[in-house]
Amino acid sequence: MALAAEITASGILMGSIFALVALGLTLIFGVMNVVNFAHGEFLMIGMYSAFLISTFLSIEPLVSLPLVAVVGFLLGIISYYLLIRYLLRGPMIAQLFGTFGLMLFLRYLVMFILGPNPRVLYQGVLIGKSVSLSWFTFDISKLAAAGFSILLFVLVSWMIERTKLGRALRATSIDAEAAGYMGIDTEKMNALAWGIGGATAGIAGGLLANFYYITPTVGMLFIMIAFATVALGGFGSIRGAFIAGLIVGLIMMVAGYYLSQIKLAFVYLAYFLVVVLRPRGLFGW
Amino acid sequence: MFLEVKNLYKEFGGVVANAGISFGLEKGEIVGLIGPNGAGKTTLFNCIAGYYKPTSGKVLFKDKDITGWPAHRTARAGIGRTFQIIRMMERLTVEENVMVGAFCRINDREAARRDAQEILELVNLEEEANAHPTELPIATQKRIELARALAIEPELLTLDEIASGLNPLETIQIIDTLRGIHKEKNLTLLLTEHVMEFIMRISERIIVMAAGRKIAEGSPEEVARKEEVIKAYLGEKYAKGK
Amino acid sequence: MVGKMKAVVGILKDTFSFNDLPLSERIAFAAFLVFVFFFPWIVHASYPRVVMIRFLLFAMYGLGWNLIGGYGGQVDLGQAKNVGFGAFATALMITWWGVPFWITVPVGIIVAVAESFAVAYPMFRLRGHYFAIATLCVALVWQKLFLFWDWTGGARGVEIPIKSAPNFTYMQFGTIGYHYFIFALFMAEFLFMNWFRKSKMSYELQAVRDNEAAAASLGINVTWTKVKTYLITAAMGAVGGSFYAVYHLYIDPRCVMQLDLSILIAMTAMVGGAGSIWGPILGAAILIPLDMYLGALLGGKGFYGIDFIIYALIIMVIAAREPRGIWGIIERARRRGYVLRG
Repeated sequence: MALAAEITASGILMGSIFALVALGLTLIFGVMNVVNFAHGEFLMIGMYSAFLISTFLSIEPLVSLPLVAVVGFLLGIISYYLLIRYLLRGPMIAQLFGTFGLMLFLRYLVMFILGPNPRVLYQGVLIGKSVSLSWFTFDISKLAAAGFSILLFVLVSWMIERTKLGRALRATSIDAEAAGYMGIDTEKMNALAWGIGGATAGIAGGLLANFYYITPTVGMLFIMIAFATVALGGFGSIRGAFIAGLIVGLIMMVAGYYLSQIKLAFVYLAYFLVVVLRPRGLFGW
Repeated sequence: MFLEVKNLYKEFGGVVANAGISFGLEKGEIVGLIGPNGAGKTTLFNCIAGYYKPTSGKVLFKDKDITGWPAHRTARAGIGRTFQIIRMMERLTVEENVMVGAFCRINDREAARRDAQEILELVNLEEEANAHPTELPIATQKRIELARALAIEPELLTLDEIASGLNPLETIQIIDTLRGIHKEKNLTLLLTEHVMEFIMRISERIIVMAAGRKIAEGSPEEVARKEEVIKAYLGEKYAKGK
Repeated sequence: MVGKMKAVVGILKDTFSFNDLPLSERIAFAAFLVFVFFFPWIVHASYPRVVMIRFLLFAMYGLGWNLIGGYGGQVDLGQAKNVGFGAFATALMITWWGVPFWITVPVGIIVAVAESFAVAYPMFRLRGHYFAIATLCVALVWQKLFLFWDWTGGARGVEIPIKSAPNFTYMQFGTIGYHYFIFALFMAEFLFMNWFRKSKMSYELQAVRDNEAAAASLGINVTWTKVKTYLITAAMGAVGGSFYAVYHLYIDPRCVMQLDLSILIAMTAMVGGAGSIWGPILGAAILIPLDMYLGALLGGKGFYGIDFIIYALIIMVIAAREPRGIWGIIERARRRGYVLRG
């Protein structure tokens, strides 16, 4: 019983973070129908940013988050203006390969500059501490990460639903041409989607850095989880990304308890099943 | 009857696109299907040819029940079609596009090529054989689509707005081409069209649809005078005024 | 009887005839063949010979991928699983039961084709990105399974006992022997592609790639066409895997079923030009030496990953400027020249 509760709680915690990662991916897809294969690398760069900033400036990793967000945001925007913009003119295969190339580029660039050895954050307010509640113990870092993820998720959702900018984004997702006729600068909307995607993925990475190994290849793992999440929730649906994130988190923790080595296989299988049985996902269009 | 549609219904999640449509075609007829936008003409075509599965009702072709058959099966059974929005195989040449159609009945490449060349001659496109379809004007692409559909040796040809986007001269040319192939290949034609001069001229019989239902049937002259038809197109005022 | 013989003659003619291609291409290819054939006699250093073998292997992989990815237009990012099936079938059968190589090859093919058939119908309900990601998932699941299973060696892998070269039962040779072995396999696959590109199936496949609804209106069973092609690609991947097993004499899921391999195979065809018979060869000719020389040069000095950085740049540039790959650039230049001349 206590075990079940602990697994469930773990699942929800991790799931919130997955939801945050998926948020950017689903946003980019919603606005311009592009699957960003490099999304995992945005997260990875977020992790490294948190690591480097907090280590070299000797500041608390948590405090480095705003900077990490800025790095992620810029990364997204630059990616858009230097590459994605040109891919949009081509066939879907070109887009697929373009973002794929970006993924490889970012991953191996980091590996080249910083080496393949894993880094770990040792010092920080969140690190290595836990809190006990009734029967189970939580890592503070995971708790905080989940908390921040949810907060950020709500923030971005609010922005998209309630602000003028958000409405412009949504208009562009529904019909870019029509949005253009109404005076919305779709180029800027596209870039903004990428900026938000980069920022949210970066922050997720910054949060994960508090308790996860930081390696250049960590992106691969998280992109697959993100795909499964977005597919389950529905490509383009923000609400879907959140709920699906929680579900995927639970699947991983449950599978991880029984069959730890192949728990990822369950995630991949989940994607496959969702996409084959219900392509639209739970809430997608 | 060659083609028979019995009480066809097609619903899309609450929206009824086709409601209880029934009509028939005899072999060798040229029948036109007209109606204002949103009447459900293309939906009906798609149900007959197999791109949609009817919600209920039957489609019978040459006395066989083909209701719900997928598109490639109806094609092999002898129903050819052209599309409202041109669908070209862009990376293939004009000749290769038509050859794909020829391959429906033929296995040998050279025989398919000869077949394709013959058909291209029939629609006056021999010279464009090695061009790429997207480099050619729309009217030409429509003829390519026609040639391609003919290559599968259909007995019934359903043409979805083949004259749309054509200027008057091109419209006359395509009427001649269609009349020619109708006679030479002994085809049955079912056309849908918005361009009135075209469809009223070429059709022997007209079926009128509005808001998902069949509202009139008869010769072009009869149908043009009917009150329901005028009402559907121009509104009640004009119908009464007549 | 006469009809059947005519058909066979027709197939042979199609396989061996290149007459429909421009003279310049025929000459270039002939020169290429001569170069590759005499290569071990011209170059004696061992590293270039190894590079050449790897080039031929990837050209072969690329030709196979080209079927589903190029002519078929479905981006498959999971070809490594088929390579793995072939490699493991061969490696396991040789190590367990001493089965001769050429009998293990059909077994590998059967495994790859059977698995591919099982996943094909569900997967082909998907299009575009979704399909690509699904192929990725399937391949990753298999890799995880093979790592997990003990009976296939798990992460330890399988080691094939070394026999003294040349050994034709288990196809073990010196470098020169392997060179001609892979060259023969490459030529076989190339000739198959030569036949394929003129076949009815190629026209149907390309029709499906370019416009599914139109293809269906012409009597083509779209899904079955895609599935057929996928199965052939799987078979070709398995053959490559079988070769790899007896070439390296050691395989494990991490190297032979890895995502990077799937990506490299797809890239070879995409960069060179998917959908043309020369594309994969061009792509391999650029990417493999790049990887092997640059990677060795700089990797040896501790610069990890620079070859992938360059790969990535090449892919991004090609994706943004000329999605039809290098061959697409050549064709475009040629057509422009033709238009100017004409």
